[in-house]
Amino acid sequence: MYNNILGVFILVIKVDNLTKRYGNLIALDHFNLEVNQGEIFGLLGPNGSGKTTAINCILSLLKYDKGTVEIFNKPMAPDAYDIKKDIGLVMQNVAIFDELTVYENVDYFCGLYIKDRNHRRELVEQAIDFVSIGYYKDFYPKKLSGGLLRRLNIACGIAHQPKLIILDEPTVAVDPQSRSNILEGIQRLNKAGATILYTSHYMEEVEQICTRIAIMDKGRIIATGTKEQLKAMISSGEKIRVELFDMDDNILQDLKKLPHIVSVEYEDNFLIVKSSRGKNNLLAVLDYLKSNNIAFGKIYSEPPTLNDVFLEITGKELRD
Amino acid sequence: MLVYKAFFKIIQKNILQILIYIVIFLFFVVLIANTYTDPTNMDFKESKVNTVFINHDEDSKLLEGLKEYISQNANLIDIPDDIQKLQDALYFREVEYIVKVPKGFTEAFMKGEEIRIEKTIVPDSASSVYMDNLINKYLNTARLYISSIENLSQQQLVNYIGEDLSHETEVLLFNPDPEKGKNIRRMYYFNFLAYSLFAILILGVSAVMIVFNQPDLRKRHSCSPLKLKNMNFQMILGNISFAILVWLIMIIPSFIMYGDYMFTKKGLLFLLNSIIFTLPALSISFLIANIVKSKNAISAASNVVSLGTCFISGVFVPRDFLGETLLKFASFTPTYWYVKSNHIIANIDRLKEEDIRSILTGILIMLIFALTALAITMVIKKKKYTGQVSGS
Ligand SMILES: Nc1ncnc2c1ncn2[C@@H]1O[C@H](COP(=O)(O)OP(=O)(O)OP(=O)(O)O)[C@@H](O)[C@H]1O
Ligand SMILES: [Mg+2]
Repeated sequence: MYNNILGVFILVIKVDNLTKRYGNLIALDHFNLEVNQGEIFGLLGPNGSGKTTAINCILSLLKYDKGTVEIFNKPMAPDAYDIKKDIGLVMQNVAIFDELTVYENVDYFCGLYIKDRNHRRELVEQAIDFVSIGYYKDFYPKKLSGGLLRRLNIACGIAHQPKLIILDEPTVAVDPQSRSNILEGIQRLNKAGATILYTSHYMEEVEQICTRIAIMDKGRIIATGTKEQLKAMISSGEKIRVELFDMDDNILQDLKKLPHIVSVEYEDNFLIVKSSRGKNNLLAVLDYLKSNNIAFGKIYSEPPTLNDVFLEITGKELRD
Repeated sequence: MLVYKAFFKIIQKNILQILIYIVIFLFFVVLIANTYTDPTNMDFKESKVNTVFINHDEDSKLLEGLKEYISQNANLIDIPDDIQKLQDALYFREVEYIVKVPKGFTEAFMKGEEIRIEKTIVPDSASSVYMDNLINKYLNTARLYISSIENLSQQQLVNYIGEDLSHETEVLLFNPDPEKGKNIRRMYYFNFLAYSLFAILILGVSAVMIVFNQPDLRKRHSCSPLKLKNMNFQMILGNISFAILVWLIMIIPSFIMYGDYMFTKKGLLFLLNSIIFTLPALSISFLIANIVKSKNAISAASNVVSLGTCFISGVFVPRDFLGETLLKFASFTPTYWYVKSNHIIANIDRLKEEDIRSILTGILIMLIFALTALAITMVIKKKKYTGQVSGS
C-alpha cells in the first residue's frame, strides 16, 4: 500500500479526468484513478461499466478524448516503450496463438520483453509452473479446456515478471478450481513485489484479494477505499434473518420501532431485518422475540456487502 | 525474430492445404510433359515417331531408300522380328508404328503390280497418320517414276525420289522446328505456375495475417515494448521469404524437366517473368489477407481469385479462344500480363528488340499492380484501426 521504509505512497498509476466517447456513448466520464505501489487494486463494476475501456486507455491501446495518464510517474503514450517493458497485461479475452503450443505461446509473449534466451527459458518455466499447466506444455490451445486457456492467457501476460500487472476479469467463465488457482496466484505475484490492477464484476473476488477497491458505474468511479471504508460509507449495516413460523403485522410494526432498524420484511418463513450502523442490533431483535414468546428457528446475521454499497449509491444491484 | 518465426509456424500449421496445390501443380507438370500439345497448332511432327522396320523381302535398293527416308523423319528402333517382343514394345509405347515389308515386295512393286506394305500401330495414335503419309509419299513418288520412265534401275529410282522428297520436305512440312512445340509446352508450364503460386500465396499469407490481425493479439503486441517498425519489418520479411520459397518450389521441376534450357535466354526470361509475377501475387494476397475474416473465406478467396484470374487470362484456355471483352477485362489482372509475356517468350524464334520491350512493359505493369495493391492495403488498414492507437 505504501513504501514501508519511507512510509510514503509511491504512485504507479495516476489517471486524471479520463474521458472516452464511442460516438454518443460516454464510456469513460471524467475517470480518476490512483494506484499505489504494492497494492492489489480492484476495479469493480457491472458489465458495460467501462472497465475494459479504462484499461485500454490507460495502456494507450485506445485513443481517448480527454485526460492524462501517468505510469511510473511518466506520461503514458503509444511509443513509451520504456514504460511498456515493465507492464504485464492479462486481457479479458484469451489472446494467444492457436498455432503455437502452450510452451511456445508463453515463450513468444515473454520474448517480446526478454531477449536473453537462457533467462527467458527460466521465466517461461516459472510462469507455466505458476499457473500449473506444466502437464500441457506441448499441447496446442485447441485441446485445452476454458479454464486452462485462461491460465495460459495469464502465464502469457506475466511471464516477463513485470512490476505492474493489469488483469481484466481473468476469472470470467472459469471453473471453481481454476478460479481459486488464479486468485491465489495473483496474491503470490503481489507478495513477490508486483503492483496489481484487477478488474471484476464479482464482488466476492474483489473483497477476497484486493487491498483497495474502486467501484465504477457508467464510466465513473463512484467510490474508492478499502472494503471496510466502503462499507462504512453507507447507512445500512448488518442484515439479520430469523426463521419464524408465525407472523402478524404487530410484530412487524413493533420491530420497526426498535432503534437503528431500517426495514423489516417477512418472506418465505424468514423475517428479514436490515439495520443501520450500530452494534447489538441482533441482540435487540432476539430480545424482542423472546420477551413476546415468539418461537423462532435458525438465525443468520450478514454484514453488509459491496453489493449493498453499490445498491445504496446507484439504486440498483451490482449484478442483475 | 520472434514474429518471423511465428509466421512460419503458422504456415507450417496450414501446410496441408498448401501441399494440395503443390500436388496439383506437379500433377499438371507431369501431364504437360507427356501429352500437352498446343491446341492451336496441331502439328505432331515435332517429335519423331518410334518406328520398327521389318523386312521379309530381299535387301533391295528400293527398300534401302525407303528405310533411309523413314530414318530421316522418324526414330528407327531395332527390335527383333518376334511377335511377342513387338507386341510388348507396342503395348509399352516403346514403338508406335511397325512397318512390315512382305516377301516379293520389290519385284512386284517394280513391275507396277498392286502390293501393300503391312503396318501395325498403336490404336488412335496421331503419329500413325503421319507415318502413313510419309510411306505413301515415298511409294507414290516411286510409282510415278516407274510408270513414266522405262527401265529405271533401282539405284536411279532411289536417287530421283531422294531428290524430290528432299525438296518437298521443306515445302510440305508446316513447321520444321521441333523446338517450337517444346517452347509451347514450357509456356504452359509457366502459365500454370501462375495458378498454383497465386493460390498458395493467398492461402499462406492470409492464414498468417488473420491470426496477427485478431484484435486481442494486436493489443498484446501493442502493449509490449516491441516497436511497430520492428514488427512490420519482420512481417514483411516473412511474407517475402515465403513468396520466394514458394516460387523456388514451383520452378524446381522446370530445371528437372528442361535442364540446360533454363539457362538459355528464353529459359531465363521465363524465370524472370515468373519471379516478377510473384510480387503482385504477393501484394494482392496481402490485400486479400487484410480483408478476409474467416478461414473459410480464405480458401474461397484463394480459389476464386487464383482460378478466376488465370482463367480469363488464358492460363487454362488458349488466348485465341477467349473473347475480346474478356481479355480486356483480364488486362486488369497481373496474370494477363504475365501470360502475355510467356506467350511472347515461347512463340518467337529470335528475340527482337520489340519483343524485349513488350516483356519489359509487362514487367512494369506487374510492378505497378504490386504497388497499387500494397497502397490499397495500407489505406484499408489505416481505416480499420483508427481509434485504436497503433504504437508498437
Ligand atoms: N468499440 C466500441 N464501440 C462502441 N461502443 C463500445 C465499444 N467498446 C465498448 N463499448 C461500449 O462502452 C461501454 C463500456 O464497455 P467496456 O467493455 O469498457 O465495459 P466493461 O466494464 O469492460 O464490461 P464487461 O464487464 O462486460 O467487460 C459499454 O456500454 C460498451 O457497449
Ligand atoms: Mg470488460
